[in-house]
Amino acid sequence: MKLTDWKRVRDDFPALRRRINGKPVVYLDSACMALKPRQVIDAMNVYYEQYPACGGRSIHTFGKEVSEAYALAREKMARFINASRAEECIWTRNATEAINIVARSLKIPKGSKIVTTSLEHHSGSLPFVERAHRDGLRIEVVEARPDGTFDIEDWKAAIDSTTSLVSVVHSSNVTGTVVSLREIVEIAHDRGALVLSDDAQYAPHHPLDVQAFDVDFSALSVHKMCGPSGMGLLYGKLEHLESMDMFLTGGDTVADVRFEDGRIIPEYLPPPEKFEAGLQNYAGAIGAGAAADYLSSIGMKEIEKRERSLLSRALDALKNMNHVHILGTDDIRLRTGLVAFTIDTVGSAHDVATFLNDEYAVMVRSGAHCANPFHYQRGIPPSKGTARASFYLYNNEHDVDTFLEALRALIEASS
Amino acid sequence: MVRPSGAAATMSNLSRNAECVLRILKTADSLTTSEILELAKQEQFADICTDCAGGDAFIAAANELVERGLISKKFGKGGYRWSIVRE
Repeated sequence: MKLTDWKRVRDDFPALRRRINGKPVVYLDSACMALKPRQVIDAMNVYYEQYPACGGRSIHTFGKEVSEAYALAREKMARFINASRAEECIWTRNATEAINIVARSLKIPKGSKIVTTSLEHHSGSLPFVERAHRDGLRIEVVEARPDGTFDIEDWKAAIDSTTSLVSVVHSSNVTGTVVSLREIVEIAHDRGALVLSDDAQYAPHHPLDVQAFDVDFSALSVHKMCGPSGMGLLYGKLEHLESMDMFLTGGDTVADVRFEDGRIIPEYLPPPEKFEAGLQNYAGAIGAGAAADYLSSIGMKEIEKRERSLLSRALDALKNMNHVHILGTDDIRLRTGLVAFTIDTVGSAHDVATFLNDEYAVMVRSGAHCANPFHYQRGIPPSKGTARASFYLYNNEHDVDTFLEALRALIEASS
Repeated sequence: MVRPSGAAATMSNLSRNAECVLRILKTADSLTTSEILELAKQEQFADICTDCAGGDAFIAAANELVERGLISKKFGKGGYRWSIVRE
């Protein structure tokens, strides 16, 4: 059995050495942005210090080195999600952009239906709401239960032979609940629909095997998985990527642009270049590859277990705390390592985040987490919102206990 | 989404969110966080209070005003109460 030295893992993250107002940082906002380990920062610095040039075009030594590093990073990400080939991985700025590429460029028959959920991050629903508005498509929303789980019968009812695409959040950024993705994919494929899985919150915390899940598309935010900000990834089965319309066009997307009879005639490259117009974020891609290496070296199963242990510690205490109301299922096996909650002694979750930060240097997120529809569904106006603590591999039991101590102090002071 | 509340501000020039918070606080001796966020949605502040419904941008702006000594916040029963620092 592998025994991970979590203290050593924690030491890899320079930001955790900071003290704020004399207090050590307790960072519980990884669902928004994960901290970066030294290994990722170093990999990006090597690019900037040693070969900060263009990839894929310049033939000099720096150009060759960055092209190789860029290609290698894509292969690392492909391995991380078990894509069958690196060409199925498109670099994007974030999961939002990845989803927008699908929403804009996938050929969807007029009059057909897109199925999504009330639990989606705005980035998982709005690109399709806009596409539907533009092209006369229908949107059907599968409603989550109050605890963030779904009734599979609702999926069977919503996905029919007119459904072209299902956009589903694999792991919610509010309730932390993980959907039964395999079942949903099976239903969708049986009825001829494609599936896009929003893996922004799933990929950093669980082993993601896109082939085993058999999803057609998957969207990742690299910045949530210890990689640099401004980096994301779109996975797509090659056949779909090949048949999709262009998204951004320009340099690096073309094999040739002819000029014949006064006309400009482009001949576009296949994926992944097809979707990567212009100079790329080479440092970001190299950092993403380093992040994939880093997480893989620890093991995603180990990380999942570690987070569940920290989450259990937090949930056990929160459940017994008066005035605290937890969102999400009690079944820890169906959860990612985050917990959103309200406290009825304060009027707004922003008060929780402010108090915890000011008094204890505990950093949590507050608001509706870009998931307003689910908050409205639960009767929680976004202005009241929920507070969310999210755990990652660098957190420890002391972080959880400090968070709980801060909440107890808040409840006492506000009662 | 939280926008850097000072992004459009200089030492003598406040961001729109900060101006929004200041204008709302001028209507009362003190207000809770929820009251500020509810008022921000009212018609009378519609010209300036335009940021997202989640309210995090307003709170970030309010905290900036606290740091600049223009408003104060006090935690007690029910949560924070915010008020303008009177001369």
